[in-house]
Amino acid sequence: MDSLWPLLSAFFPPVLTPSYLRALLPPVVETLGLAAGSMFLAFLISLPLGIAAGLRLPGTRPLLAVLSAVRAIPDLTVAILCVILFGVGPGAGLLALAIYYGAVVAKMFADILRTAPRPPLEALAATGARRLQLALFGLLPLKRADLLTYGAYEFESALRASIVVGAVGGGGLGSELVGSLAALDFPRVTTQLIVLVTVVAVLDQLAVWLRRHPRWLLALAPLGLAALAAYAPRLLAFDHALHVFGEMFPPRLTERDWAALLPRLWETAWMALAGTGGAVLAAALFGALTARNLAPPWLAWPLRRLMEVLRSIPEVVWGLILIAVAGVGPTAGAAALGLHSAGCLARLFAESLENAPRAPQLAIAGTGASAVVVTAWATVPLALGPVAVHSLFRLEWNLRMATVMGLIGAGGIGQALYDAQQLFFYRQMMAYILITWVLVALVDNASEALRRRYKLNQIPA
Amino acid sequence: MIEPRGDAVRAASRSLLTLRDLAVAPLGAAKPVLRDIALDVGAGECLALVGASGTGKTTLLRTLGGQIAAVAGTIELDGEWLTALRGKALRRLRSRVGFVAQKHDLVEPLRVHQNVMAGALGRWSTLRALRYLCRPTSAELAEARSALEAVGLAHKLRAPTAALSGGEQQRVAIARALVQAPRLLLADEPVASLDPVTARAILELLTSLAKRRGMALICSLHQPELATRYFDRVLEVREGTLTGSAAVHAAQPLRLTA
Ligand SMILES: Nc1ncnc2c1ncn2[C@@H]1O[C@H](COP(=O)(O)OP(=O)(O)OP(=O)(O)O)[C@@H](O)[C@H]1O
Ligand SMILES: [Mg+2]
Repeated sequence: MDSLWPLLSAFFPPVLTPSYLRALLPPVVETLGLAAGSMFLAFLISLPLGIAAGLRLPGTRPLLAVLSAVRAIPDLTVAILCVILFGVGPGAGLLALAIYYGAVVAKMFADILRTAPRPPLEALAATGARRLQLALFGLLPLKRADLLTYGAYEFESALRASIVVGAVGGGGLGSELVGSLAALDFPRVTTQLIVLVTVVAVLDQLAVWLRRHPRWLLALAPLGLAALAAYAPRLLAFDHALHVFGEMFPPRLTERDWAALLPRLWETAWMALAGTGGAVLAAALFGALTARNLAPPWLAWPLRRLMEVLRSIPEVVWGLILIAVAGVGPTAGAAALGLHSAGCLARLFAESLENAPRAPQLAIAGTGASAVVVTAWATVPLALGPVAVHSLFRLEWNLRMATVMGLIGAGGIGQALYDAQQLFFYRQMMAYILITWVLVALVDNASEALRRRYKLNQIPA
Repeated sequence: MIEPRGDAVRAASRSLLTLRDLAVAPLGAAKPVLRDIALDVGAGECLALVGASGTGKTTLLRTLGGQIAAVAGTIELDGEWLTALRGKALRRLRSRVGFVAQKHDLVEPLRVHQNVMAGALGRWSTLRALRYLCRPTSAELAEARSALEAVGLAHKLRAPTAALSGGEQQRVAIARALVQAPRLLLADEPVASLDPVTARAILELLTSLAKRRGMALICSLHQPELATRYFDRVLEVREGTLTGSAAVHAAQPLRLTA
């Protein structure tokens, strides 16, 4: 702990010279371009696939299975594969995001379109409409609102991901950050974080606005096209890529790798459990201290800003920083997951407390109970249900994230993947990718089953 | 028909609750829902409020319970002005007013005995209130049980509140009010979701308790025959104001045809 202060002070003061800020503009634009370009591709792929699934064309079921499967490969793993196959740079990042979000959005569109009410479609089909006409005049109009709302939501999440792919060589602000950390240039790291937090805050506002005016998502098409033109890999050396890809098969682990597998998996699970556990505790405190109905504004306001900063810095970026200052290992990974999760959960917990039904709270207050007692007897018990749901969602999310934290040095199964990649042991690397994939798919399925059973449905924050 | 007893002009000192020129506009209501309300209720007196749906019965009761602030006029309880009090004094006064709401206002995630003993929070210290949530003493549980016995729910002592039916929840709310032992008990349609037999038993219980403890009781009701049978006075809320004992007559066909 004694060493914490010098470490922290190394990050201050941030470099705020105009020339450096100007130098940060291209990476920021690149990050935004990655998001716009990849989402343009993703929507382009996913709309026809989603429509096919919505019309229940033959082959829909296997298609959905493939989409679910691709979605279960963590985005950072896709990114590292693309970097290996197509070289370091924004092109690889764009491709990775396009593949990952293509699957995510297509699955989402398919799920939405499959729930379109049947009678109007059948009536339309009875007029002799062809399939394309069915889609254009039946399916899409029926579900337009949902498609646009969830489309805007995924766009927001792609923006965050576009920062993260840089961490493994996918370009943009993320790559810039990795460079500064490697050079131990911490004041510049602080500047980049400030820029990152600002960009995320602005984009949050934009996303809120877009959700209310989803039509404007269409305006992103020309932007996406321009970004594609700018960042698409110039030379897609397919022969080379295929050759490298071939080297990854058949996947194989050595005797020693097998022996180390269980401890590594445990390290990954521990990272997720410890990170989520710590975040839940911190969020319980900060959620209560930022809830508008419990805390005075002079306390809630600054704490809210602090929580915003915690959550607008992605887990992977927290991981990069913690590893740079505190060293490689699962503790850094757990702390990184915990910091980001605490920021997310604090907001959700505060909302749960604020949204607790009013009538029972008034009733308890009506017995003459003091404010503290009303909180303990009514507000908190009433909020516990949603709080538990949010915490479970976070745990699921963190289990997924924990598998990739190793890619930046935070231990666990991802670390093994990363080490294999660094040594060009591609067959081992592919083995770890497959193991991670199966694990994430298992967690996905388990939590989906749980959710169906307890009828919990919501978008994870 | 029962002779209305409350017609005689009451000396202000003898009445437990005094309302004068009261006007109420709930947040979000464009104009006052209630105006020019004047009322005196004595200790031990049982008063029924009738009136068509949406006339303001709930609004009046919630105002007396301190959940809605009046925009004009005064509420005097036990010689103290409800409208002028703040903080601890207000809480002390509120603990003397019990409320059984029309829509369920129990804390569903809590157990039944916890909801019942919430009635005691006004006289408990904060520490004791927090302690009860974790480990209630057997004496406290016995108190909860006897209150539940009065409403016929002793067997649900430790049940999760959310697992109770609507009528059972309403009876738990009544048990909470019994534990609170208020000077004034407000009940918003306490028998609306009960079967006729239980409804009679509950009204019998509430009115006899009021008599025994010298507690004033104000109930809103939709059944005029129950109102005239169990209550000392029946008032009608109509067009935003209270009309006196004439309501007993008006209450018979109760302007449902209007
Ligand atoms: N918060 C509010 N905002 C706007 N209007 C309100 C609000 N609360 C009550 N009102 C209005 O005040 C009027 C009286 O409502 P109240 O609930 O007191 O009626 P009630 O006599 O209890 O009816 P019921 O017999 O159906 O329970 C209604 O017209 C209602 O719409
Ligand atoms: Mg009512």
